[in-house]
Amino acid sequence: MADAAPVTFRGGGFHPRPQRLVPVAVFVAVIGLWQFASWRGWLPALFLPSPWEIVTALGGMISDGSLGRHVGASLMRIALGWVLGTAAGLAIGLAMGIFSVARAAGLPVVSALFPIPKIALLPLFILWFGIGEPSKVATIGFGVFFPTVIAAYTACDSVPRNLIRMAQSFGLPPAAIVWKILVPGAMPGILAGFRITASIALILVVAAEMIGAQYGIGAFILSAGNLNQIDHLLAGVTLLSLLGLAVSAVLGAVERAVLRWR
Amino acid sequence: MDLRLEGITHSYDGLLALDGIDLEVRDGETVAIIGPSGCGKSTLLGIVGGLLKPSAGRVLAIGAPRADSLNPFTYVFQDFALLPWRNVAANVALALEHHGLSRAERRERVAAALALTGLGEFAAALPKQLSGGMRQRVGIARALVVRPAVLLLDEPLSALDAQTRELLMEDLLAIWARERSTRLYVTHNLDEAARLADRVIVLSRRPGRIREIVRIDMPVAERGAPTALPVVAGVREKLWALIRDEARDAEREVQHG
Amino acid sequence: MRIRLVAALAALVTFGPALTAGAQEKVSIAALRFVSSAPIFIAMEKGYFKEQGLDVEFKFFDAAQPIAVAVAAGNADLGITGLTGGFYNLAGKGAMKIIASQSREEPGYDFVAYVASKKAYDAGFKDPGKFPGKTIGITQVGSTFHYMLGMLAEKRGFKLTEVTLKPLQSIANVTAALKGEQVDGVLLPANNAYAVEKDGAGKIIGWVHQETPWQLGALFAGTGVIEERRPVVEKFVAAYVKACADYADAFLQRDAAGKRTFGSKADALIPIIQKYVEPKPSAEQVKASASYIDPKGRLLVKNIHEQVAWYQAQGMVARDVDAAKILDLSFVKDHLDVPKR
Ligand SMILES: Nc1ncnc2c1ncn2[C@@H]1O[C@H](COP(=O)(O)OP(=O)(O)OP(=O)(O)O)[C@@H](O)[C@H]1O
Ligand SMILES: [Mg+2]
Repeated sequence: MADAAPVTFRGGGFHPRPQRLVPVAVFVAVIGLWQFASWRGWLPALFLPSPWEIVTALGGMISDGSLGRHVGASLMRIALGWVLGTAAGLAIGLAMGIFSVARAAGLPVVSALFPIPKIALLPLFILWFGIGEPSKVATIGFGVFFPTVIAAYTACDSVPRNLIRMAQSFGLPPAAIVWKILVPGAMPGILAGFRITASIALILVVAAEMIGAQYGIGAFILSAGNLNQIDHLLAGVTLLSLLGLAVSAVLGAVERAVLRWR
Repeated sequence: MDLRLEGITHSYDGLLALDGIDLEVRDGETVAIIGPSGCGKSTLLGIVGGLLKPSAGRVLAIGAPRADSLNPFTYVFQDFALLPWRNVAANVALALEHHGLSRAERRERVAAALALTGLGEFAAALPKQLSGGMRQRVGIARALVVRPAVLLLDEPLSALDAQTRELLMEDLLAIWARERSTRLYVTHNLDEAARLADRVIVLSRRPGRIREIVRIDMPVAERGAPTALPVVAGVREKLWALIRDEARDAEREVQHG
Repeated sequence: MRIRLVAALAALVTFGPALTAGAQEKVSIAALRFVSSAPIFIAMEKGYFKEQGLDVEFKFFDAAQPIAVAVAAGNADLGITGLTGGFYNLAGKGAMKIIASQSREEPGYDFVAYVASKKAYDAGFKDPGKFPGKTIGITQVGSTFHYMLGMLAEKRGFKLTEVTLKPLQSIANVTAALKGEQVDGVLLPANNAYAVEKDGAGKIIGWVHQETPWQLGALFAGTGVIEERRPVVEKFVAAYVKACADYADAFLQRDAAGKRTFGSKADALIPIIQKYVEPKPSAEQVKASASYIDPKGRLLVKNIHEQVAWYQAQGMVARDVDAAKILDLSFVKDHLDVPKR
């Protein structure tokens, strides 16, 4: 071997690593650029206010106390609608995951009703439930219900059958098999469903508050639109996305706690 | 408790998997079942434990199981079948939870089973934190904690590497020397059969029929010694001669669909 | 007579450049297909725009909101519709100016009614002083209906916060909510109010013109259009005012007892209005919806200042909006009720 040459490295890459600073930097850069462009008058002030104006609008909402009222009203509707829709969805979804008859009966109904945009049903809900809180809660509840059903029963299917055979081989009663094997085993799928339904609830609260709501983030955004208060409108949108981030953080914490075993 | 299998036949949707299995197993005996892939070994074990209904024939338990047995027919699974969300102690306790034992009694039994399988320090560990061998120890502890009359082991060591398998074989022998039970041990590993079994049932390729029953006269306790090597190797050779051609045909069959 | 003179003068002043240009000047106006837009329909059909050398294009929208946006964004040169909080926010940024009047609430001319639901009426909601404690359906926050309630509150001495407002987005929803007894009362345009009363779903308990006369609608133009094409705007206003006079002649007549009368002049104009309004109204519906429009296009100027101040007090219009800067009073002579500086 006369010539000794080092072997060239050709591995590495294709391995996403968490980068903490990059997202923050991108965020700051975009906002900064936007502020600069507004300040230089490159952006039409009439149709796109600067970030600072949006922050000022948010500040105004905090100081006059309307922020709490709007967020409180929306959170109330989201929480109630989500809890009701989730409870009903889990009950039906788990039943469909466990009983063949329930699945045979439920699947066509769910498949037929799931794709209907719940916003299109809003007028119907208003006829049924009036223009008060019930129609708003129902809109969110229905929107949450169907994805929860589907998440729950597919999650049941994804529980390894050998675990159920094992439980049977130890003589566990059927109820114990449901609570000790099926439900915990379906938890990852159910929690993944929660992420989707939480976003759906946030989307639907805006639609639900279009009709007859005095307070609420959706009502606020809508009236800001009607009043051409673009800074207020964007402040409302900012609130929504902050709410979305908060919900996602909470769900992340729940997932980490409940699914520690994964 | 003795077992008697009478004319066990099973078919899946017209596919005949087992055909007329007659077998007697005496109390305290270890019977290994070997045979080519797909010959119906798991099916037979499922029928014995009551997880599968045979198309024809019956399984008789003769004599009462020991009085303290909570689950007379108990399985150890090839893939361990542990609940990933329960820690080691809770996985073992699962088998006891519906038997109305007091909490203290349950804890005591679990601790005993863990000690017997060398898992004492790992009571709080989650399955994902354990090696394969440790996981199967949990499966074994879970089976022992209910004091089974008949232990049904379906390739319990197949998912483990050779060294771990060796260690667990020794442990199983030690446990069986202390805990009285009848064992049906399905394996495709001829060494395991030669080392652990009192008798080896050799099944033909599908539909599974009993081809030969090989009795091993040397006591299991002595088979681990270096001097026993020729005997064990002899049994192995004999078993291999019996299933070699069938195994090749079975493999071809699988390959050609 | 004087209107004719003004129009003729305006025509004289502006005819020259139109001729030299050799072609008709294009100008667009954003409007609703409502009876209240009648003057522009009349000016179009009777050729008043053409007389002025204008080639006018109508851009129709289905709500007041997009009309203001269209003019502010320069998608239309002029707009004509009701004055809302949204309008003032856009105009307040200098995007457009009010130049002439459209509908107003004038005593003796039914336009917008206070309507109580059947149940609320039976329970005693029989006059506009009884609004406190009621749930009232309106179209949108910052709409003309919202302001009308605000004025009523001031006149009758209650706080608007004593009324629960339900924004329902559309007249159809407002009507449905009233029929469903989901609100105690609503404000509805005459045509809809009559229909509801006929159905037995509600009862008209008063008219806005009886309580708070005000300048409801206006003709406005983009600031850039006024600055760069002033003569065109002047010609447009001339034709518009001429049509307003025709409209007043036909639809705003009253007999000795003060009752409105509609003669042959109205019959002559009704087909013109029917041609543009959607859904196509019957002759009776046109008459019922014919709001008061000043024959000379004059604005109730002080009221516009009051509107801005009210919206500002409610936090619906930015504090820095100056009513005086939203108005360009130079296109129409003798505006009404002009505040002294
Ligand atoms: N649930 C089932 N439905 C249909 N066919 C099945 C089913 N389970 C097993 N079989 C078929 O029955 C035959 C016997 O299966 P079994 O699992 O008992 O064989 P085995 O001896 O345990 O095989 P291996 O050594 O691969 O574990 C095989 O051909 C298999 O494909
Ligand atoms: Mg098998």
